[in-house]
Parts: sequence; C-alpha cells; structure tokens
Amino acid sequence: MQIIENNLIKEKVYIEKLENGMTLMCIPKKGISKKYIIIGVNYGSNDNKFEVDGQKIEIPEGVAHYLEHKMFEQENGRNSLDVLSSLGVNANAFTTNDLTAYLFGCTDNFYEAMDELFDYVQSPYFTDENVEKERGIIRQEIQMYKDEPQTEVYMNALRAMYKNIALRDDIAGTVESIEKIDKDTLYKCYNNFYTPENMTVVVSGDFVPEEIFKEIKSRIKTDKKVMTAKKIKEKEPEEINQEKIETKMDISTPIFIIGYKDKVPDKEIVKRHISVEILLEIMVGNSSELYKELYEGGLIHYELGTNYEFSADYAFCMIQGQTCDVETVTKRVKEKIDEIIKNGISEEEFDRIKKKIYGFYVRDFDSVETVANTFLIDHLKGINAFDYFEEFLSLTKEYVEKVGREVFDSENMILSVVNPK
Amino acid sequence: MQQIDFKLNNEIKVHLIKNDKYKTDLLALFLTVPLQRENITKNALIPIVLKRGCNKLKTQNEINEKLEEMYGAVFDAGLDKTGDNLIIKFYLESINDNFLPGDNQNIEKAIELITNIVFEPLIENGSFIKEFVDSEKNNLKVIIESKKDNKDRYALDRCINSIYGDNGYGLSKLGYIEDFESIDEKNLYQEYLKLIKNSKIDFFISGNFDEEKISIKVKSLENNSLLNNREEIFKKNDFREEKKEKTDEIKEIKEKMDVTQGKLVIGLDILPNNLGDYRFIAAMYNTILGDGANSKLFQNVREKAGLAYTAKSNYIIQKNNIFIRCGIEIDNYNKAVDIIKEQLEDIKNGNFSDDDIENGKKYIVSGIKSIYEEQDTEIIFSYGQEISPIPVTPEEYKDRIKKVTKEQIVEFAQNICINTIYFITDKNI
Repeated sequence: MQIIENNLIKEKVYIEKLENGMTLMCIPKKGISKKYIIIGVNYGSNDNKFEVDGQKIEIPEGVAHYLEHKMFEQENGRNSLDVLSSLGVNANAFTTNDLTAYLFGCTDNFYEAMDELFDYVQSPYFTDENVEKERGIIRQEIQMYKDEPQTEVYMNALRAMYKNIALRDDIAGTVESIEKIDKDTLYKCYNNFYTPENMTVVVSGDFVPEEIFKEIKSRIKTDKKVMTAKKIKEKEPEEINQEKIETKMDISTPIFIIGYKDKVPDKEIVKRHISVEILLEIMVGNSSELYKELYEGGLIHYELGTNYEFSADYAFCMIQGQTCDVETVTKRVKEKIDEIIKNGISEEEFDRIKKKIYGFYVRDFDSVETVANTFLIDHLKGINAFDYFEEFLSLTKEYVEKVGREVFDSENMILSVVNPK
Repeated sequence: MQQIDFKLNNEIKVHLIKNDKYKTDLLALFLTVPLQRENITKNALIPIVLKRGCNKLKTQNEINEKLEEMYGAVFDAGLDKTGDNLIIKFYLESINDNFLPGDNQNIEKAIELITNIVFEPLIENGSFIKEFVDSEKNNLKVIIESKKDNKDRYALDRCINSIYGDNGYGLSKLGYIEDFESIDEKNLYQEYLKLIKNSKIDFFISGNFDEEKISIKVKSLENNSLLNNREEIFKKNDFREEKKEKTDEIKEIKEKMDVTQGKLVIGLDILPNNLGDYRFIAAMYNTILGDGANSKLFQNVREKAGLAYTAKSNYIIQKNNIFIRCGIEIDNYNKAVDIIKEQLEDIKNGNFSDDDIENGKKYIVSGIKSIYEEQDTEIIFSYGQEISPIPVTPEEYKDRIKKVTKEQIVEFAQNICINTIYFITDKNI
C-alpha cells in the first residue's frame, strides 16, 4: 500500500493496486460522520469506437450514459437505486466524456449499501423490455438539456473547437441515436470496459484504510485480470474546427463562450493547469482591470466564468458570460488577453492570485464527496490531487507567462454565442 | 459541535457554531424583513449596491483584492423568500488559519470585512453613490429579464405567483423593473437605513476559533451608531395561521413559450386539519409522494410510465403548500396529470406500504444527520429554527419523524387539494 501525505493541508491518501488491476484509494477523515464511496469506470461518452480481437466496433452516441441508467436493474426484478434509497443512503451515478461513476454517501448503513453497490456494478441485467422502458426517460433527459441555454452555448463551443473527437457530441446522445441502442450494445460495452483494471474505487470518511480495503476486496467478484477493449482514438488536428457558431433561443440577453483549443500536453500538465487558472484570473477575474471596465461600463452584469479542462485526448479553456453587446465584450477580452501575453504579468498580481487559487484547492478537501471525486478524476488523468500543492510552490511567473504564450494563441480561439430570438 | 447564541445590545443575534471539522470558516449575516410590494425592488438593489464599495474599501476592486489576499476568501450576497419574509443574505467564506502558511488571522479579517460591507457603506452627502445605484439598476434589470431563460424555475415562480398574486410570497424576490424609475441614490439609502433599523439581524460564525476572541471582535458592532435604537418589525411565519380554503375549481394555466420539453408544476394546498403540529406528517407525506427514488412520483411517472426524467415534490412549511415539478413530452400532458392525480388519490386511500413509510423515515432522518456535515446547511437549519414559531432541535426533528404513523399520513392526505396546474408548452393542447 502506498501512502502519500500532504502536511500543509494535513491530509493523507492510501493507494492499493490489486492483482486484478483495480485501484483502491482512501482519504481518511477522522471525526466526520458522513461516509462516501465512488466506483469510477474508465469509460465515457467519448469512447464510441474500440477494437476487440482485432475487430473494429463503432457504437451509437450515448451508450455509456444509457448503460449507466440501466446498471441499476437487477435480475431479481429489483432496482438497486430503490434498494439503496431504502437504506437511507444518497445514491447516484453520472457519466462524463471520460468516465462513468457509481456512488453513494451516507451516515448509516454504509456496509449494507456497499453490498448493493458492488453487486449491481458487477452484475448487469439487460432485457429488451427494461432497455426499452428507459428510452422515454433518457429522451426526456435529452430534451431537458435542449431547453438549457448554457448547455447549448457550451456544446457549440466544443463543436467549434473540435472536428473529429466525440467531445462534440452530447453525453446522453441524441433522440435519434438512442433509438439504435439495444441490450446487445449495452452488454458489448459492459463486457469490454467494466473490467477490474478499468475501475477505481475511492472512499472518504472516518475509515481505517486497511480495514475498508479489506471490506472492498471481499465484495469484488473476480481476482483475475480481464481483457479490456482497446479504445480507438480519433485523430484530432491541432487547429480549431470553425471560428464561430451562433444560434438563437428564447432568452432575454445573449450569452457567449470564448474558447482556446490547447494542444494535449504530454508533460507538466498540473503546472500547466495551475498556470492557466492564474492567467485567467489575471485576465478576466473579478479583480482584473478588464472586469472593472466591463462591469462599470454596464457591459457585463456579473463575473465572467472561466475553466480549463483536459484529458489524454483534449485540452481547452473557456471564458463565458452574458452581455447585450457580444461584439464589444469579446473584442475587449481578446485585446486584453493579447496585451497580457505580450507584456507579461506583475509580481504583485501573480502572488495575490496564487494565494486565491491556493484557497480554492484547500476548499476541495472539506467535503468527503468532493475530495473523493477529485482523487478519482485526477487518477484517471494519471495525476494525484496533492500534485497541485507540490507544483504550486515551485511555480514561477516566467513559467506561467510561457504557458500563456502557448495556450492563448488567437489562431486557436473560437466564439460561441446564443442570441435571443 | 458547540453552539453559543447571544444578543448584542443593538439586538443583533450572534450564533457561534464552533467545530474543527472544516478547513474553512463561514460567516453568514442574514437580514430578515417582511415581503412587501412597496419596497421589494429597493431591498433587492441594496445588497448589490453594498457590494460595490464600503467606507474602508471604496471600490469593488479593492474589496476583491482584499478577498484574494485572504487566500481567496469568497464574499457573496443573495435573496431568499421564506414564507412572507424576505431574507437578505451575506456570506463570507475564508480558509481557516490552521491550513495556511504563517499567522494570518483570516477569520478576524473576515468579520471585519463583512461587517464593513453591510454596516458601513460608502456614503456621499447622505446618500449612496449615484454611479453605483445607476449601474446596479441596469444589472438588476438584466437579471430580472433573464428569469425566463431558466424555464423550469420560471414555471415554478409563475405557479406560485398565480396562487398568491403580487403580494407576500407571490412577489418576485428580485423586484420589478417598473419601480426603477422612482429609485435614486437618496431614497435607496433611506430604505437601507430602514432595513438596518427594522430587520431581524442574525450573524452566524461557523468554524474553528477562539470564542472569547471572536465574541470581543463581534461586540465592536455595538459601537456602530447606525445600529443604535433598532426596532425589529419582523414577524415569525406561523404555519398554523396560514389557513387555506378549499377552492371549488382547479386553476389550470397553460403558457406558450419556445420549449422542447413541457414544464409541469402542480401547486397543492394543505387545508386546515386536526393533526396539531403536523409539520412532520407533512414532511413524511411529501417524501412518500415525491422526494427521492422510492417516492410515488419517481416510481410511477418516471420508472413505470417513462414519462419524465425529473419528477419530484417540495414541501413549503411556512405556506402550507407542496409543489410537484416534472419535465415531460408536451403531448403527454394529460397522461402525466392523470398519473399524478392517481398518486394523490392513492395516498388518500392508504395505498402505500409500511416499507414506503420506513423508507421515507430513513430518507428524512439521514438528511437530518447530514446537517452537521456541511457548514451552510448547519447555519440554514439553525436560522430556520430562529424564525420558526415552534423551534425544534435536529434530535427532536428525528424523533418526531420516527413517530409518524400511516393513519396520520392518510388523515393528512384527506386535506390536500390541487390549487393550480401550471404548464409551459410550445403549442395549444
């Protein structure tokens, strides 16, 4: 068992890799009565093409998400979500572009609920009938997102950046694509991806790591390695797909996203991530000159949102907001970014923003849910949440400026706008 | 967890919630006033004008830089309706010194900052700064207009408004654009003085701190002359006085908007009954009806009929209402309404099992136990009891829930009736 410790925030993570390939992680939280567990499968909505025994397989959009919905169905006619709810635990599941996760949090009945969780994730039961029944529910989930302007502007930003990879597609698929999903599709994906080596279990709460790992191991059905299908990665060019996508919805004021497509970094990804976060704060954060100018000029009405996302297949950053004058705001944002990239940043703001971001990292360690989710997601990216604290200390202003020149290249900039009808 | 409550000589109530579970310290300053049409827009403007600058830090930029210096402390202001009261909320969350390099005195700085912003505003010639007020009117206008962008939330607001009209709980907490013309920096400041004088003020401090030091720090508020001679006009919301009358006809309202999915909201009235303090029975009724995966709405509207992805209900204690919300295929409107009505009838007829009751109890009790696991939830629960006519501790709440019987739920169900069905659709149906 590997133990990694962080003295600054006084936390430890215990990691064990099992013979079957599965990874277990525990972040103990003494004195907290809430316990949380999440099983992450390294299989998400982006993984629509794969290879099994030399044979290429292509599946419709939305299978990973459909599978997540159907995993709760059990052969004895029970639905595991109902069983977990009956135990008074807060159970859920979610699918992202990169992973599928099954989880629950509770104050009581943790071990009974864990029986159910490991049981349902390891025993799929799909029939024509139960797969059919879910279609209406998922259709409504898709329709719900269609009425959300934020989803529209975000998905169009991704479509403007990416030509080929499935990041372009809605995680839940489309009303049309889910029609093509049947029980065979679901079994095919389950059998090829829900393998021990593709799974990571993370727990956080008042646990003794050795003991909780023993409990987890006793619930794992196979101790052997199982072949996992090879994901086929689409080739994605470094260039953007198109500069601008504009659509209309029934809204009052336009919303926009300015995106920068970054090349997938092969090293120092954590340092890059922190650097971009610092730069975004300095460029458009709520103590920036530009924020002051736009806010006081009545062009924006609250702070601009920013984020940097990355995996082994993509990396991008986004700046989003609401404004009645998209043209002026986006022009000013772009000018300001170019100016900062050209002139560099000041020591004073670098130090101040570093403190701010440090505070945000510390916050993530307050809830058992956030801490476990963060460790899971970072593990699948091949990093560890503590890396952020380590890298933080050694980060220099010059390094951040160098990253800025690479990421904020106007050639890689896109704009997505949703206008009122 | 240890909570110490005391009052300052200006009637501000301080609640020190001490524990060492978190890495953050959370301050919450709540100003509670009755919801009134004549000053709702001004009350909505006041917090966002205060955010723009105070006597010590004169611009938003200075405030934001100060927050950043405090290792990314987060300040926010918001509005909430609780029954017939409006709560103006200010929050400041900062990292506890134990998790920071050096000696920062972060919580002391935080107390100073939040009280400066709320109680020592920037004033010029006896009024707020004109520029701040004008630009915040412009911002609030955009935010009010954006309400319809979130169709799901909009549908709920419309349903509530159709039940209560333009007063009390039916008011929009964000105020009304037509009021803007008559609001200026002078009369807004006068309204602020009234707010400070007449609101109930609660100051929550949650985290790991030395209570003596913090008490002294907070007591410095007693020297603020703005807070002299305060007289709270706040009234506790008493659910027992909220007497609904049975309406003869169900109001059915369909509003046409550009939507892909229909948004259905059904507002239920809880009519007077003979069950005494029935809040716990109502909570159980609501859980069996529509809270969680075992509820009748989730099981029947979603799982069996496959009509919706979301199907849930919320119990509004102070107003004796339950609101059901679903997103459905527009053509399935009648089908969904019929299934929902069947669920209401089912509970009336006792068509639910002992398991349903047990599951409901576990669900609520587990929620109550989680109160102590989140700083904000802990504060909100504590504040909820502060403004309740019959306060309960989490322990009492759990005990009362455990004692609810099937007979009580069935009896309670006899006095539930539909007031309004609100549907947002893209066509005439």
